[in-house]
Amino acid sequence: MSVISVKNLSKSFKVKQKEKGFIGSVKSIIQPNYKVIKAVNDISFQVDEGEVVAFIGPNGAGKSTTIKMLTGILYPDSGHIDVLGIDPTKARKKLAYEIGTVFGQKEQLWMHLTAYDNFKFFSAIYDIPEKEAEKRIEELSKLFDLEKFINTPVRNLSLGQRVRCEFVASLIHKPKVLFLDEPTIGLDPVVKENVRKLIKKMNKEYHTTIFLTSHDISDIEKLCKRVIIINDGTIVMDDSMSNLKYHYMDKKIIEVKLKSKINFNNVKGIKVLKEKENNSRLEINTNETNLTTILKFINPENIIDINISNIPLEEIISAIYRKE
Amino acid sequence: MKKYLHIYKSELMSNLQYMLNIVFRLVNFLLLIFIFMNLWDYIYDNPNELINGYSKNQMIWYVIITEIIWGATDGRRYCRKISEDVKGGNIAYMMNKPYSYIGYSIASHLGETTIKTLISVIVGFAMGLFFLKDFPVLTLPAIVIVIISSILAVLINSLLVTFIGLISFIIEDSNPIFWLYSKMILVLGVLFPIEYFPGIFAQIMKYSPIYVTCYGPAKLFVDFSYSTTVEILLSQIIYLCIAWLMCHALYMKGVRKLNVTGG
Repeated sequence: MSVISVKNLSKSFKVKQKEKGFIGSVKSIIQPNYKVIKAVNDISFQVDEGEVVAFIGPNGAGKSTTIKMLTGILYPDSGHIDVLGIDPTKARKKLAYEIGTVFGQKEQLWMHLTAYDNFKFFSAIYDIPEKEAEKRIEELSKLFDLEKFINTPVRNLSLGQRVRCEFVASLIHKPKVLFLDEPTIGLDPVVKENVRKLIKKMNKEYHTTIFLTSHDISDIEKLCKRVIIINDGTIVMDDSMSNLKYHYMDKKIIEVKLKSKINFNNVKGIKVLKEKENNSRLEINTNETNLTTILKFINPENIIDINISNIPLEEIISAIYRKE
Repeated sequence: MKKYLHIYKSELMSNLQYMLNIVFRLVNFLLLIFIFMNLWDYIYDNPNELINGYSKNQMIWYVIITEIIWGATDGRRYCRKISEDVKGGNIAYMMNKPYSYIGYSIASHLGETTIKTLISVIVGFAMGLFFLKDFPVLTLPAIVIVIISSILAVLINSLLVTFIGLISFIIEDSNPIFWLYSKMILVLGVLFPIEYFPGIFAQIMKYSPIYVTCYGPAKLFVDFSYSTTVEILLSQIIYLCIAWLMCHALYMKGVRKLNVTGG
């Protein structure tokens, strides 16, 4: 069953343009000039219940604008949105009870209040009865391991602890869909890993549908089974993670350390990515050649060390962004 | 309504961290009251003399009450906050919560100013009693009416400041508009009662925000009568509804045009 349905969604922004210098400033007052930027251009997709979907793209691709339209913050110019059977443009408040949001670049907690008081605040905002709220706070505190600092003012918590509290605040009303906009931004690798585990747990325990945007490829690789890639306001790819990797299976990376240097330039199927003394990093196109041929060409006797791997997901996604 | 009380309570709790800042901000209030005590002392030859229907003590109490109400709104900070919410896009992150932005802002703002207002009331009344050794004769129902009228005045003023802040949806900076509004209220409302102004001007002022945000509750405090009560409370209720409708209309128009780009 689909919980998010988007059809032919578009959104443009009018951005004021100004010529350079003082005269330009005066001119812009008398005769303002605007440029229309198409942030989202006729996109359509669906998300099913319980799915964890990555919605990714380079900066300015239209990711956040789409999330803001899905949550009712921005009004689309055209198209149709349906989130849990609700049109966000018509019933934003009603939808707010059903969804949760975590914006990695925007804190929603009250800094001077304790984590517990914050959760009580959010319970009241979502009209959760007192007893139920207490039960929910206890349950989430255990799940997110907050017991040790639940009575500490948020301003005194570490960034990782704060992010965990942000998640709890967003989950207090049991949202059916959770929108995560760069939830791990600015976190160290250990905290990032913890946050990912929590997102997985949340999806597993509560069957929450998760719609995630992130520039961190590890977030996507470790959490999502499906990826939607948006660039210049249009969807350039909507596929499963396994398919995404499979499409680029025809390329391998070989890192090799040799006894004596070999010239790999102009060898069919080999692209030299990096070369330093006897060390080389090569991209092999297996449609043009195969690994046996390459290994024979190198000569196993000449190899000190070798590593053969798939193209990193980060490079695959960058290639899609570059429309390669 | 319960959630707005919770917003109010949370902001109140948050602001308990800034007690010292609040006390320091009262210095302005003390100075102003002190200056006006001396000014009216100088103007009135005889304390029992009436100027435009007010005795010296009534004039000083008038300024104490209007200053407390004006301070309770702390409009400059509040207007800047609304304006920054709109211009900076912060408003977008509050829109996906199940509350009204206007209700949230006012509840949070009142939570922020409550402690300051309570201290102002204590200090203002202590100064009045200490220097004037006089207190207007008020019955219990009259005291209740003055409190209700004062709360309505703060609410109307907060809504009008919210409206000015929300003008940032249309123009780049609403602070100059607030500057004009605050100077009008301060010069024409906080310092002098309407009776001090010439005929037609006084009549116009009866329909202006000055009448409902400053003059009304202060007049009831220094010169209570039930006929004035009806007139003032009725005007306040009408103003409250109009101010809310204005805010709501501007907000609804503004959010449709909201332009928030970037993560």
